[in-house]
Amino acid sequence: MPLWRHLAAGLRGLFRRDRVEADLDAELRSYLDESVGQKLRDGLPRDRALRAARVEMGSLEAVKDEVRDAGWERHLETLWQDLRYAARGQGRAPGFTAVAVLTLALGVGANSTIFTVVNGTLLRPLSFPSPDRLVLVWKTHASEPGDFSIVSAPEFWDWQRQNHVFDSLAIFDSAGKGYNLAADAIGRDAEQVSGVRVTAQFFRVLGVEPFLGRGFRPEEETLGKDHEVVLAYGLWAARYGADASLVGRTIRMDGEAYTVVGVMPPDFQFQFWSGPRQVWVPAGFTAGDQRRNSNSFVAIARLAPGVTLAQAQAEMATIQGRLAAQYPDDDADTSAAVVPMGDFGLTEVRRLMLALLAAVGFVLLIACVNVANLLLARGAGRKRELAIRRALGASPARIARQLLVESLSLAVLGGAAGLAAAVWGSPLLVRILPGYLSSIAFRPLSGIHVDGQVLAFTLLVTGLAGILFGVFPASGSFRRRAGNPLNERGDDQGGGRGNRLRHALVACEVALTLVVLCGAGLMIASMVRLLGVDPGFDPARVLTMRVSLPQINTYYGPPVHARFCQDLGESVGAVTGVVSTGAVAHLPLRGNAGRGFFLEGKPVPERSETPGASYSVACPGYFRTMGIPILEGREFTARDTLASEPVIVINQAMARRYWPDEDAIGRRIRMGIAGEPWMTVVGVVGDVRHWGLDSATRPQFFRPYTQAAWPSMTIVVRTTAAPMSFARPIALALARVEPDRPVSNIGPMIDIVGASVGSRRFAMLLLSSFALLALALAGVGIVGVVSYSVAQRTREIGIRVALGARPGDMVALFVGRTMVWVAAGLATGLAGSLAFMRLLGTLLFDVRPADPMVLGAVSAVLAAIALAASYLPARRAASVDPLVALRSE
Amino acid sequence: MPEEPAALVLVQGTLDMLILKTLALEPLHGFGITLRIEQMSGGVFRVNPGTLFPALKRLERDGLIAGDWRTTENNRRAKYYTLAARGRRQLRDERAAWGRQVAAIARILEA
Repeated sequence: MPLWRHLAAGLRGLFRRDRVEADLDAELRSYLDESVGQKLRDGLPRDRALRAARVEMGSLEAVKDEVRDAGWERHLETLWQDLRYAARGQGRAPGFTAVAVLTLALGVGANSTIFTVVNGTLLRPLSFPSPDRLVLVWKTHASEPGDFSIVSAPEFWDWQRQNHVFDSLAIFDSAGKGYNLAADAIGRDAEQVSGVRVTAQFFRVLGVEPFLGRGFRPEEETLGKDHEVVLAYGLWAARYGADASLVGRTIRMDGEAYTVVGVMPPDFQFQFWSGPRQVWVPAGFTAGDQRRNSNSFVAIARLAPGVTLAQAQAEMATIQGRLAAQYPDDDADTSAAVVPMGDFGLTEVRRLMLALLAAVGFVLLIACVNVANLLLARGAGRKRELAIRRALGASPARIARQLLVESLSLAVLGGAAGLAAAVWGSPLLVRILPGYLSSIAFRPLSGIHVDGQVLAFTLLVTGLAGILFGVFPASGSFRRRAGNPLNERGDDQGGGRGNRLRHALVACEVALTLVVLCGAGLMIASMVRLLGVDPGFDPARVLTMRVSLPQINTYYGPPVHARFCQDLGESVGAVTGVVSTGAVAHLPLRGNAGRGFFLEGKPVPERSETPGASYSVACPGYFRTMGIPILEGREFTARDTLASEPVIVINQAMARRYWPDEDAIGRRIRMGIAGEPWMTVVGVVGDVRHWGLDSATRPQFFRPYTQAAWPSMTIVVRTTAAPMSFARPIALALARVEPDRPVSNIGPMIDIVGASVGSRRFAMLLLSSFALLALALAGVGIVGVVSYSVAQRTREIGIRVALGARPGDMVALFVGRTMVWVAAGLATGLAGSLAFMRLLGTLLFDVRPADPMVLGAVSAVLAAIALAASYLPARRAASVDPLVALRSE
Repeated sequence: MPEEPAALVLVQGTLDMLILKTLALEPLHGFGITLRIEQMSGGVFRVNPGTLFPALKRLERDGLIAGDWRTTENNRRAKYYTLAARGRRQLRDERAAWGRQVAAIARILEA
């Protein structure tokens, strides 16, 4: 209550100022009248009564001032005065203001932009209701408990039946799949959309229900009852014109009729290992899915009310332990891990973002140092002004406050400009570098935008910056000055404290810049070495595109569309400019599936030592098209059919692993699933980096698509020129033979190579930009300090030149003095780099954090820039005319 | 009045209590308060306007007293201050505390 009264009264004082003042005036006058009346009654003559009363009263203005001081609004008023004064000062020095604000805007802008990304990827809770209750459930193996494995449908069923810790539990197909929406009578083109098979409780786990229609029912998890689809809002709006009557009608996908049962709300986005999904389809478990060792699903769950993560973990470990005992063939030595969904896949993101935040933090510090230097230089020029204000009675505290207000108002201007930069810069960043950011599970790109938290962060950073660079000039006002500054000339001779402070700030700046430069240098070196790694194939002039080929048993059995490879070869091979074509289930650098198998003629090993290798499926022509060398034997041909002998092509790593001293050609293997045939090795091909350029190659074998199906194949086409220019003719040629299977994800192979180094490229590009920014700021800072000290010491230079010093000596004097500080900064920066570069950790490739080449190179670059930045303004010292210099003032 | 005795400086914080006390008897205007304190203290305490008015403003904002313009007995207009309920409680509390303080100090001095 009193607080409210204080507030109201204060506001009245501010906004109804005239009335409050008039009131006070009247009250004081009435006091005087009463006082005079009293004195008259005491018998004093009128004139003496009047005088006595006035003497007792004292100065009316002084009393009023005391009264005004009693309210909080008084502080606001002085602040307002200070602000107006600051604004006038800044208006008088537009150049200074512009440079300071621009410098701060760059620093704050970089910070706010990066924070926007950090906020969107790391800090923001998942965009589902009660996100802290959402978990992922993985299978783990005793041999590598930190490695999470996806699960099979039978395991999911057991978990679902036996657990008491989840409100709901669901699985979805980890790979997802493209669905071909057919062209229709009203002119909608055929289109491939990204979809995923899910179990009935999927939407319940995520806590979002369709806003039209319904989700899925448990019985729809059965094959044959699964021809239903829930659409994402975006697809429903774009393709179907947001037609509410679509729910209940059928659409054709992959040549079959699916009933649209629901549409998700617009803000629902689900992404996992690829961009947002557009359709959801019931699991419809196939015979292949129903094998206990068919691990292809990701399990998500919502904790039941009151259940903790630890309780869920304990119960799931118990359940999976039971299953391991019950099904030793498939689940021996397995357990389960329950992890918060919001933490999934963020380890590397966290490391990257931390490194970027540190880099922009340093950039901002450098910006602050620059502005502090500007203010110090300006403060030296304002000594007389401040001395006059002190002479007129302003206390040191009052002047310090004035200077801080000036700094803070600069900071606020810079911060506002920086925020504007973030509003504009973060979508730009997302647009320029989407590959990496869009691959973060459960965190759609739409989460990256400027919001209240970014605003609060910017405000905080701005305030801190303002205080940081304002504290140097403000603390100067408390210092006792020798002599009378009113009489002093505008210059402080012979360096002295101010100059030393400015140079020390330069050293800080150099140190900070060196740390950022080292980060960028190490990332660039990593990228150079990474891109120098031989991927095992030739990505140049290869175009890739994905086509979805529906399968009954998604990952097993003969292909439904047996002519696919042949049709592909005939149609695309005929396009002018196409050298060769093929298709593969897993593109290099994109990861792979794995399979266990038995080797013919070798004893059946213990279960835990079953041979295994990466597994993929290819069309004839794939190896030739990708430029993967065929080292022995042959690649697949059109003669490998269901009727002929089952064949495989293996890579060199597999040949070396399983037939180290023998010829692998002609050897046979059989996959560990009942009914699988023996397959003969007909070719050995070169190793390809399937798990990224930074990962070693692993054993791998391929089956021909004509003998083993895969639901989604990537077509590769080697062309004679820029591959994207063939995109349309190739798509048209394919459309003639495959009208219902539109291609998607068309892009050159070289981009896939680029995307595979996405996180490092992202880090490298950003760190390099920040390093350039830091370098530029440091250069400008040094130029500023040196030109200022040359200007300050013009008289001294004049005297020295007059006494016989050569102009060259004068230049050397200034450059040398600055470079001593620069060297100190470099040494500090190197020490700092050694500490900070550990942050980059696994982001580095084939480069140690303390790589002497990189550290040496960036130090040399920085030293050269510093030398140039001090030499340019120091040259002016050489051109000082002693006569002019001595006459100045 | 012959030689005016040097006005005693009020102990910090006591002015508020004295103002509340004078207003407990009847509403008064600014000069009335000065006069009453002077009379009641036998001329020992003199409150000058530079101290009185800021104190009045603070008390008013704290809701201990309320001011309104009235006509004086001399037919002039003056701002009269009335003790609010909160002020009455505050006065009671301060008086009790003051009594204990003075008694304690006296005991120490007389010991």
